[in-house]
Amino acid sequence: MTDLIQLENIGVTYHSKKVLDSLTLSIAAGEFIAVCGETGCGKSTMLRLILGAERPTSGRVLIDGRELPRPDRNRGYVPQKYSLFPDKTVLDNITFGPEMEEFGLIGMLTPRYYRRRAELREQAHAYLRQMGLQPGDGAKYPDQLSGGMQQRVAIAQALIMRPKILLMDEAFSALDPATRGGMQRLVRKLWAETGTTILFVTHNISEAIFLGTRVVVLGKDDPAGSSKVMFDLEIPEESREPSGIVGRDEMDRLSALIEGAGLGEKLEIGVA
Amino acid sequence: MLRIDASPNRITTWTLSWFLFAAGIALYFYTSHSRHIENPEDKVVPSLTQLAQGTADAFLKPDSEQKDAGPAEGSLPAKFFSSMLWTDTVASSKRFAWSMALLVPAVLLGLHMGMFPIIGTFFLRFILFFDKIIALSVLPILFIAFGIDELSKVMLIVIGVTPTIILDSFNLTKSVPPEQIVKGFTLGAHDFGVTYRIVMKQILPRVLNSIRLNLKSIMLFLFAGEMIASQDGLAFRIALLRRHMGMNVIIPYVLWVALLLFLVDLTMRLLNKKIHPWFREA
Repeated sequence: MTDLIQLENIGVTYHSKKVLDSLTLSIAAGEFIAVCGETGCGKSTMLRLILGAERPTSGRVLIDGRELPRPDRNRGYVPQKYSLFPDKTVLDNITFGPEMEEFGLIGMLTPRYYRRRAELREQAHAYLRQMGLQPGDGAKYPDQLSGGMQQRVAIAQALIMRPKILLMDEAFSALDPATRGGMQRLVRKLWAETGTTILFVTHNISEAIFLGTRVVVLGKDDPAGSSKVMFDLEIPEESREPSGIVGRDEMDRLSALIEGAGLGEKLEIGVA
Repeated sequence: MLRIDASPNRITTWTLSWFLFAAGIALYFYTSHSRHIENPEDKVVPSLTQLAQGTADAFLKPDSEQKDAGPAEGSLPAKFFSSMLWTDTVASSKRFAWSMALLVPAVLLGLHMGMFPIIGTFFLRFILFFDKIIALSVLPILFIAFGIDELSKVMLIVIGVTPTIILDSFNLTKSVPPEQIVKGFTLGAHDFGVTYRIVMKQILPRVLNSIRLNLKSIMLFLFAGEMIASQDGLAFRIALLRRHMGMNVIIPYVLWVALLLFLVDLTMRLLNKKIHPWFREA
């Protein structure tokens, strides 16, 4: 597999405080990377660098071998908060991307837009069904949906663009454990179906292990220092049970590694 | 009774909310009555009869000084639409409408300042300074520069209100979560797509609220301009009547202005609710 994302010697400094230093990481197309680490270790910064929403102080971020200075349609984004446009209905949120891409700002004033709009809405309905939402939810505004439903719509909104990379920043952190479990299974299913490269940031190690084909743990040797990659663990698919849960032996191996590095207490062990 | 978790019933709410109105009216008529006992010709606090006469004069009689005054006779609506009050209302409304129209570029400027750092850097410091200028203090300059016709009055409102609206729009734009902007880019929108289809749509209901809160300021500057240099308008009339101690007409005029402002505010609020059904007012 070729590397889709390359982080080369990345350093990030905020107000003369080094957050990331000499971070190097390669991600191949089709991988599901779960990035885990304690609060403030720079995992969201890393995601924002890949997204193009932030620039490194030193080093390079390459997407498909090129430095891309700002976010674009090839990198979908699902943040923890403000994931949907509050002024648009669910359907309008989902069709926003294709509409902008196909018609731009001015094209939306043409009659062709209104003819095409019906097709796009039909497509959006299909995504709604795939996300387990009801057709009636399409006319609702985001604040009329539960947190889990909002995140389902946000995923549909990102996936309708068929991005090469989907970046999810603590996307399920605000959800209750039951909803969170359902969302995790949904994302894994979508990953298996679409083959989209996913980078999922979480501070929950169990969630990271459940989701990722690779778990990257960021951390600091010294509390005042900058973060680096502490672990880059492959989770073999064959170690998973049919339900997707990682088998006991593999779990024990990972736990031993994490505990051995003294990270056990720092990483939230929650429901996977 | 004075508990922070108190929930007054309907009768208490109604009584409490109208009490000060009733007390104000009672106090007014008590004062008026007392003054009229001492001097039956008192004009300072007109009696109900004097107020009724003044109201009828304002609402149903044309301006006697106006050459092209409408008919003094005719149906009630015809009398009203040729009345002094209506003529003044139309004159002031035109200026008010101009001022409101000039707020549109102000909102757009604030939006672009918030979205495009280059535009923000170019304008921000100047507008912050401009905002601190007391509009009434530059009134003489405006009259010298633009004359005493309509332009100087509209410019007074522009100087008085637009910096506030520009800065409000700028701050509202800045308060849109960065995640929304990043999201817009990831969904294929470019700079102007993000600006108009995401950010402007989100700030618009709040901008309308900000304009609503500034309605009184707009009217204040409009009245200042009209009182100092005008041949018509509601404030011109109030200033004119002041010279003749015409309190029996001034009071209906003041209440009419308050009613108009209330109606404009209500219309804007309902319009905001209608065109932004997603917006939950804080």
